[in-house]
Amino acid sequence: MKLGLVIDLDTCVGCNACAVACKQWNTSGTTGLLTDFEPYGKDSTGVWFNRIRNYEVGDYPNSKTVHFPMSCMHCDDAACVTVCPTGASYKRELDREDGVMKKCTLCVDRIYDENLPEDERKPACVMTCPSHARYFGDFDDPNSEVSIISRERNGEQLMPELGYQPVNKYLSPREKKNVGTYVNETNSIKAVKDWVNRLVTR
Amino acid sequence: MMMYHSWDSQNAWLRQILAQNYMYMNRQQAEAMGIKDLSWIWLESKTGRIRVQVKLMEGVEKSTVWTWNAFGKQRGTWGLDADANESNQGFLLNHLINEHLPCGDTGRPITNSDPITGQAAWYDLQVKIYPAKAGEVGIWPNFETIKPLPGSVRAKDKLRYQTHKAVGVSRSLKDILMRGDTRRDK
Repeated sequence: MKLGLVIDLDTCVGCNACAVACKQWNTSGTTGLLTDFEPYGKDSTGVWFNRIRNYEVGDYPNSKTVHFPMSCMHCDDAACVTVCPTGASYKRELDREDGVMKKCTLCVDRIYDENLPEDERKPACVMTCPSHARYFGDFDDPNSEVSIISRERNGEQLMPELGYQPVNKYLSPREKKNVGTYVNETNSIKAVKDWVNRLVTR
Repeated sequence: MMMYHSWDSQNAWLRQILAQNYMYMNRQQAEAMGIKDLSWIWLESKTGRIRVQVKLMEGVEKSTVWTWNAFGKQRGTWGLDADANESNQGFLLNHLINEHLPCGDTGRPITNSDPITGQAAWYDLQVKIYPAKAGEVGIWPNFETIKPLPGSVRAKDKLRYQTHKAVGVSRSLKDILMRGDTRRDK
């Protein structure tokens, strides 16, 4: 069994709901409590297992925003585990208050909790995602949802060249037709040309 | 948007995601005007002016600027520390926007709001932008720090929430490790 996530960067809107749902569940779960430092002060920080990075690709007007949720990749060959001298790290988020490393467990206390209805035995982030950009399942099973979707959409590992064999996979944004941008131009020749072009194509 | 005005601005988790706003501006336009990313700029309208921090981006039209509004909080308010990001980097647009439209000959002021919804008109303001001078850093205008109410207590410097009753995994470790293991079935 090889459990992990597939994250669809095509549909992710960067709303941070997964990060907050994760925090809410896990501060009360087996890895809790997740501490927040100076919560109402300057540059507040805290323990999060899932964070969203935001990037822009391309230059205006042909640019695109990509939201990139990142959590533990559940590497098969996780250097962070082998390197840890005390064995405290199971495959990384330091809680200074508890003095230990904590990380995403794929919500171990959800996915194995038989008191929950079967379709709710998923990580909190997957349950909450409003744009259905997150999938959870077993990559060893070729017929699981995660295996099928990563096959169909060419799911990619992050930085495979490092050899850590991350289990989580990302689906790239689909190529989309560029939506034209309204350009505020005061060129009368262009305006006439545009008008003629519109007339001709009709 | 992670928070808006009084809605969730005191939420310890949401303010870790974003605790200040920026004025977002087209990169090419800013470069042409000599404005650098994360520098301080002046924004001036008919009604007033504010100094804010700018963030350059690609996904915004050249003659448009935008922001998440209502991050700005007067120092000492909303249960936040006086040095909180909201009170020192976050800003409000209120100083730029008049509550009333010019009333012309009628003598009766007309509210500057959307005629259908009544929502305050925060979307159609014309502004002039120029870089702040060297040394002009931080938001402007600033107001006095509000004194805490008598008997009020400063918030904790550490939070450890439990949002629901912790649930136990009601299965043995062996079962957790072995069940569904496809290698075992081969």
